[in-house]
Order: sequence, then structure tokens, then C-alpha cells
Amino acid sequence: MLTPSERERYDRQIMIGEIGQEGQVKLKRSRVVIAGAGGLGSPVAIYLTAAGIGTIRVIDHDHVALSNLNRQILHSEEDVGRKKVDSARAKLRNLNSTVDIQAVAETITEENVSGLVDGCDAIVDAMDNLPTRYILNRCAIEKNIPFFHGAVNGFEGRVMTVLPGKTACLRCMYRGLVPQEKFPVIGVAPAVIGSIQATEVIKYLVGIGKLLTNRLLVYDGLKVTFSEFKLTQNPNCDHCGSLAGKG
Amino acid sequence: MAVKVHIHTTHRQFTNGSEVVAVQGNTVGECLNHLIKEFPGMEKALFAKRDKLLNNVEVYLNHASAYPNELVKPVEDGDEIHLVVMLTGG
Repeated sequence: MLTPSERERYDRQIMIGEIGQEGQVKLKRSRVVIAGAGGLGSPVAIYLTAAGIGTIRVIDHDHVALSNLNRQILHSEEDVGRKKVDSARAKLRNLNSTVDIQAVAETITEENVSGLVDGCDAIVDAMDNLPTRYILNRCAIEKNIPFFHGAVNGFEGRVMTVLPGKTACLRCMYRGLVPQEKFPVIGVAPAVIGSIQATEVIKYLVGIGKLLTNRLLVYDGLKVTFSEFKLTQNPNCDHCGSLAGKG
Repeated sequence: MAVKVHIHTTHRQFTNGSEVVAVQGNTVGECLNHLIKEFPGMEKALFAKRDKLLNNVEVYLNHASAYPNELVKPVEDGDEIHLVVMLTGG
């Protein structure tokens, strides 16, 4: 049930026919993990907190640096040197004190990932490196938790949604390791991509719309174009192949 | 057999800024070879070694993933190939 205060706070989105009070209750009862409190994690966390997700667990081991502030809009100059998750929790609680914001300052590893995402309804991939993205992807598949991927570079970004065992996963087109490099980015790119990831999470939790499954959406901010590419689940995928066709 | 190859933003430095290049070929691999003949700089941008694409290069044929064995996929007149670079930043 929603309190009178919640009905007032979420009035404009409850007015959306596809959401309504029933959808808002679903959001309130949901638990979402956001892996990364950086460029992508910032808009994802802000919009999911504003939307009234019940519990949001933000995971990031890093501290805020001055060079983060061109894009990581959860953090401010006064936060430089502070743990990103502490900075994030303070901003998000200020935005919506009814949301349970859990701050986890840990590095995501093969060993701890299962515990970190335990009990959640959705995992948002807002990481900045491929190895950790794959750790999350595998865990999401093993635990049958929907996985919302986003990535950026420069003015460009990409998004896809994974329903374990039912749709193509992040690993389905894997050809080998990609060198890890410092990447260029302007804040408006993760703003667009993170907002789409948050949209996907909300749609999934409420059970509405058409998800970006088996589809890769590529955004080119310089030309302001969105390109969509069809993906197919790989029966030989080392992450989801054993589940292929069983969805 | 005319096939359009869409060049990724980061690769356009090798195609004199061209976003789309018309090539000839019966397979994706032949089309890419034709592209490289015209723009030799594209070889390093796409291939780790002969017939081995770089791990971060994705090939889409008519807006669908050409993975796996991208290079042997047949193409027809009017087909479109998109060369896309995998992104990892966040």
C-alpha cells in the first residue's frame, strides 16, 4: 500500500496508465543493485530513487576524484576524496528519504558477487570495465536475476537488457579479452544511457512495455541517432549457453 | 555486388571521414578486404591478424549480429554491414 505522502510524491507517474498505484507498489517492493556509482550509476541511481524503488544497493569501491565531476553527477566538489557510495547515499537520501539506500564500498569479485546481489530483483551494470561486467553477467544468469547493461565512450553509448536463459547475454558475442584503457567521455553520454537503463529497470519491475532484449541499442550523440541491432542467444555461450532455449 | 559498409566514428580517421563506403564482395570478409584495399588504415583498426577480427570489433549484417564466423557470412547486393566498436566505459 502507498501512504498519502507517497501518493502525493509519485502522483505524476501514478497518472501514467501503465504504472498506476499498482505499479507504484511494485516499485516500492523492489530491490535493485546498482554496480558502480560513476558516470552511468549516477543517473541510474538518481532516477530509480526518484521513482520510488524500495531498496537500492549501490556498490563501488572507489573514492571521488576531481576528474569524475564532468560526468558523475551524484558527486560534488565537496565530496572529492570521499567514498563514492557514501557521497551517493547522502545525495540519494536527500532526494528521497523513503528509499532504503544501501552503500557497499567493496570491489566486486568472483568470490563476493553472489552475496552482494543476493535478494535483489534487478542488477544494473554501471561499471567501467569489462572483466567486472562479465562477473556480474555470469552471476545474474546463475541467480536468474535480470541484468541491465550500459556502456559509454566519448559521445557514444549502448544499452541492452538480459533476461537470463531467455535472451542474449553480454557474453554471447564474446571473442576474447579487450584491453582496458582510460576512456574519453562527456557527461551527457552516460546521462542518456543511464536514463535508458533506469527506464528499462522501471519497465521490468512494473511489467510493462517492450524491453531491450535481444536488441542492442547504440546511441551516437554527435549525430543524435539511435541504431538498433538484433542479437541472438548463443547456445555455446560459456555464461548462458546451458540455459539457451530453456526460458 | 554493391554492399554498404557503415564505418564506426573512431574508424573514420582511416576512411578520410567517410561514414559509409560502398564495397564489392560475396562474403563479409571479402567486403572488408575490399574496404581495406581502398583504405589500408582500416586493417589495423579491424584485424588482430589475417582473418582474425580484433576482440572489440562487432560486425552486424543488415542490423543483426553476424557473430560467430562473421567473415564467411554471405552478402547480397544491397546488404549493409555495420562495423561497431564494443564500449566498456561507464
